[in-house]
Amino acid sequence: MKLRHLFFLPGILLLLFLGYPLIKMMFNVDPSILLDTAKEKEVINSIILTLRASLIATIAALITGIPLAYIFARKEFPGKKILEGLIDIPVIIPHTAVGIALLSAWGRHSFISKSTGLNIVGTEIAISMAMFFVSVPFLINSVKSGFRMIDPRYEKTALTLGASPWQMFYTVSLPMVKKSIISGSIMMWGRGISEFGAVIILAYHPVTAPVLIFERFQNYGLKYALPVTVIMILISLMIFTIIRIYEARK
Amino acid sequence: MEIRLNNVNKKLGDFHLKNLNITISEGEYFVLLGPSGSGKTKTIELIAGLLNPDSGSISGVEGKQTGLIYQDYMLFPHLNVYENIAYGLRFRDLRKDEIRKKVENVSEEFGISHLLHKKIEMLSGGEKQRTAIARATILSPDIYIFDEPTSALDRTLKEMTRSLFRKFHKRTGKTFIHVTHDFEEAISLADKIGIIFNGEIVQTGTPDEIFKCPASKTVADFLGFKNVIKGEVKNGIFNSDGVNIAVNGEDSSLTYIAVRSDDILLSEKEIESSARNSFIGEVTDIYKRSSGVEVIVDVGLPFIVEITRKSFDDMSIKEGSRLWVTFKVSSVRVFSHDTDIHDGDR
Repeated sequence: MKLRHLFFLPGILLLLFLGYPLIKMMFNVDPSILLDTAKEKEVINSIILTLRASLIATIAALITGIPLAYIFARKEFPGKKILEGLIDIPVIIPHTAVGIALLSAWGRHSFISKSTGLNIVGTEIAISMAMFFVSVPFLINSVKSGFRMIDPRYEKTALTLGASPWQMFYTVSLPMVKKSIISGSIMMWGRGISEFGAVIILAYHPVTAPVLIFERFQNYGLKYALPVTVIMILISLMIFTIIRIYEARK
Repeated sequence: MEIRLNNVNKKLGDFHLKNLNITISEGEYFVLLGPSGSGKTKTIELIAGLLNPDSGSISGVEGKQTGLIYQDYMLFPHLNVYENIAYGLRFRDLRKDEIRKKVENVSEEFGISHLLHKKIEMLSGGEKQRTAIARATILSPDIYIFDEPTSALDRTLKEMTRSLFRKFHKRTGKTFIHVTHDFEEAISLADKIGIIFNGEIVQTGTPDEIFKCPASKTVADFLGFKNVIKGEVKNGIFNSDGVNIAVNGEDSSLTYIAVRSDDILLSEKEIESSARNSFIGEVTDIYKRSSGVEVIVDVGLPFIVEITRKSFDDMSIKEGSRLWVTFKVSSVRVFSHDTDIHDGDR
């Protein structure tokens, strides 16, 4: 047996492990119930809310994260390693803990809330904030490694050709990391959509799709949770497939 | 106005450019020569204003447009050839049709008009180089800076490119600063050479001055060629100070030749052989080295000849001995500085 064949076997097992539950779930759902569920206002609203909240989080991360990624990629300064480690923290701590941390910083009894009168708990903003917190490392790390890959001499060449540092950034640096920005954004958006733990602590209502799935499972059991789950998975798959195909074409 | 670096210091991580003093006259072809990692690129980045010195000053570059062409050309991969060439004009107050006109003119000059809509990745090495030079030229720079422009090319292409650079320098009349680790390139192009080692300029001068009189053993070793002579070539004969040497080279009023010290034979009697260059002279100096012995024989010009310790002992060479110096035409490298005679199209 060739090495290639030996490598196929564990690979197939892995793919089965990932694929089987998804496929099984698809076939376990009665198509007519699926259709009825898809028409439910609560379901439609929760899915739109989820996609939108994560999109807002991603846009906020693009605005604040790209400059930070550039600094991480280009500059050396004391404490840089620590700050870079800080960005990765959301990936390794439990997301319920993230929710608790955000609640203590922004909740009703927090300093911010008391001093400004702002109360974000139970709002769409809170959902976006939770999503932002847990998924921003995907964007920053992707864009940072994108910037690292660019030879700084491209930027220096732009400067000698008369570009100001700002012009250099948006005519050379930024277009050259376009791929990393897009793939980082997709990763972040997708990760945001799937967030449950941090979101449910900060905002049970308005109900996002992952919370809705949990709620129906808790109250009515597996049978009622399945159709929403399938719809959510199908919509996510569709969106990301379209984006990937569109990207590959360009 | 000449470019002047006065006691420039710059620390970059572990690397230190130390007390750089360089003067480059207007219109001069200056070659910065040094091994890799010696600080050549950092030095030109200082001159181009991309780095600021920690101490010392740089004059003669304020308000000047510099055209810096890096090794590997640094053409923007997300722009096509046209957009690359037009890049610097974006930041000037020009109309679209004015930009188009300028790009068309400069691309015609460099013979790349047919490539304007190509992607950078589709270009050959030579096309990339011409595009990069066109992109710099369109801004009419006062100073051209080339960073190792031929290091990626093979030998034949290298020599062709050198001749193009000479022509280009002559045509523009601008100050050229050219970075290389290749001493042959330095001799064939430079009006003046600056040698940099480990962040320090160890010697500056004309090719003649540097090769005749290397400032240190390190410089001499780096240069490899010990016998570099300035003179002129007529009908295959190189003449310097009345000594005639047969060479393979075209007529030129300014030429350097170089003969490796270990390509020369020493003998007590004249050798009957196919080697066409044979001269009698007197031994003026003897240097014992770990690798062998260097014998300086004055035949009207001093020749440095490297022989083994054993040959040296067997021949019992002393200062004042009269010996024959013999070498083949093919061991003479010729570096012509004349563009007019070489180039048929001018």
